[in-house]
Amino acid sequence: MARGIGKERRQPVAYLYIAPALAVVLLFSFVSMGISFYVSLHQWDPFQGKGQFVGGANYARALTEPNSIFWLAVRNTLLYVVMAIIGVLGTSLPLALLCRRARYGQSLFRTLYFLPSITPMVVISLIWIWLLQRMGAIMDRSQTALLSIALVGIWQASGYNMLLFLAGLNEIPQEYYEAARVDGASRLQEFRHVTLPLLRNTLVFVTVMVIIGASQVFTQAYVMTRGGPQRSTEVMALQVFKNAFSYAGQMGYASAMAWLLFALLFVFILIQMRVFRSRRIYDESS
Amino acid sequence: MTTARRQGDGRKRRAGLAAFLVMSLGAAVMVYPYAYMVGASLKTRREFAADRHSLVPPRFQIDQRLKHARGEPSALDWPGADWPVLKNYTDAIVYGQVDVFLFNSLLYAVVITAVQLAINTLAAYAFARMSFRGRGVLFSLLLATMMLPPAVLLVPQFLVVSGLGLVDSFMGVVLPGFAGAFGVFLLRQFFLNIPRSLEEAGRLDGCSSLGVLWHIVLPLSRPVLVTLGLFTFMGAWNSFVWPLVVLSDQAYYPLTVGLSLFREESGADWPRIFAGAVMGSMPLILLFLLAQRYLVRGISLSGLKGQ
Repeated sequence: MARGIGKERRQPVAYLYIAPALAVVLLFSFVSMGISFYVSLHQWDPFQGKGQFVGGANYARALTEPNSIFWLAVRNTLLYVVMAIIGVLGTSLPLALLCRRARYGQSLFRTLYFLPSITPMVVISLIWIWLLQRMGAIMDRSQTALLSIALVGIWQASGYNMLLFLAGLNEIPQEYYEAARVDGASRLQEFRHVTLPLLRNTLVFVTVMVIIGASQVFTQAYVMTRGGPQRSTEVMALQVFKNAFSYAGQMGYASAMAWLLFALLFVFILIQMRVFRSRRIYDESS
Repeated sequence: MTTARRQGDGRKRRAGLAAFLVMSLGAAVMVYPYAYMVGASLKTRREFAADRHSLVPPRFQIDQRLKHARGEPSALDWPGADWPVLKNYTDAIVYGQVDVFLFNSLLYAVVITAVQLAINTLAAYAFARMSFRGRGVLFSLLLATMMLPPAVLLVPQFLVVSGLGLVDSFMGVVLPGFAGAFGVFLLRQFFLNIPRSLEEAGRLDGCSSLGVLWHIVLPLSRPVLVTLGLFTFMGAWNSFVWPLVVLSDQAYYPLTVGLSLFREESGADWPRIFAGAVMGSMPLILLFLLAQRYLVRGISLSGLKGQ
């Protein structure tokens, strides 16, 4: 980063180069977050663009209100995240292992499995409304509605994550497998002692990305179930959305919720930063 | 020895075949919803009501055709059976404004992609090659923004856009889309790998720093620019939540928001919705098939996954 910085002449013109990108990025990240924190301390009226200072009342309301929808949404989101992790890891890793072994059509499989990643989630949700009806009324029962939107999320994400695993598998040097074979390792031992340890970085990366992605689930819940039936698919992002944009005068409360969501995700964001730093993700571009 | 190897080969072949079969099954699960969507988009309303699950619209099914040929009542007698095959598509455009939505989606995606490529290139070049006070701090700050989850940023960004008076406007939709720390990061990494000697040669020929960027660095960076451009375009085309909250005038809706609107209508015309959905998802699929090698390279680089 500091390569040759001492020898070089400083170039103030650089500020002009970085100004547009930096201005937009900072405005729509830290500056926005700061403003929403200010709003979260108020009973906010979006039409007047001002509000009455209420301190931590919005936070207290979310956290301590009896039968709080906030906690219900946290619980539903958590359940969704667990289902997504199990579903996505349980499909994408085996698929990646199989794809490498497949005798024909490996590149065709990669293409087909990637299709859901480039299809709008709205379209996917609209299709699955009808496909799920075939499996019985799982979308319409409160016990299974969350599972049904999780199935859609898993279907959408598994191909993409399969490709991530394939990339990880390709980085494992072939010599390790040859050495394991010389030692007489079985397929299972090979997987356990070679593949899994060397795939650790990818595994952590995928898991963290799935957690962060799934905890923000919105589109399926919005398009397919609207949070119902009986609030069984009421997830965090949907609650934030409803309070901010559907219910009148709840912008301060919604801002507080967004901050609470951020706080809940913070641990994972820190892990993500570490993983991101340690991953040599730019090598492939050269 | 040779028999053993031949046995090993045979086992390997069988395993490869089994893997192929399982993968094919998975591929069917991936493709089926698309086949369903296309099939449903070709059904008449009557057909969709009578037969929701079939992939082929009843009036094209062989047994219905045979019944019809024998003079028995069949799906070919249902209302709408004699309409043009693509009637849902033309209706989606004529009555459902899908052409307007598609145009809006395209406009937003093109503008966002173009602006991101331009401003990210400038910033990335400065971070890669220029020396200025605060470079390290500013770059770290930029990277840190990548970790903020979009769902957390939704309300904060809305507050800013609303403060700027841009709610329900073209600028309101695209402005937050111009922010792309990931693009700056990706391009900077690429620029760092370009040999400095090339740029110095350009400088000796009398190029300004902008000239060096334009004439020397950019032509060498085509692959990474295409990859970034494609990912940005796809992200913008598929984006749903942001335009949903920032827009209320239907004339500005991108296709994603337009489709979700149809769903809310009572007695929704599902075959027509699916016709719109086909038109909305085909452009990206075609783009993907054309530019696959650029995209596959980008996949492992990205944490760009949409919601």
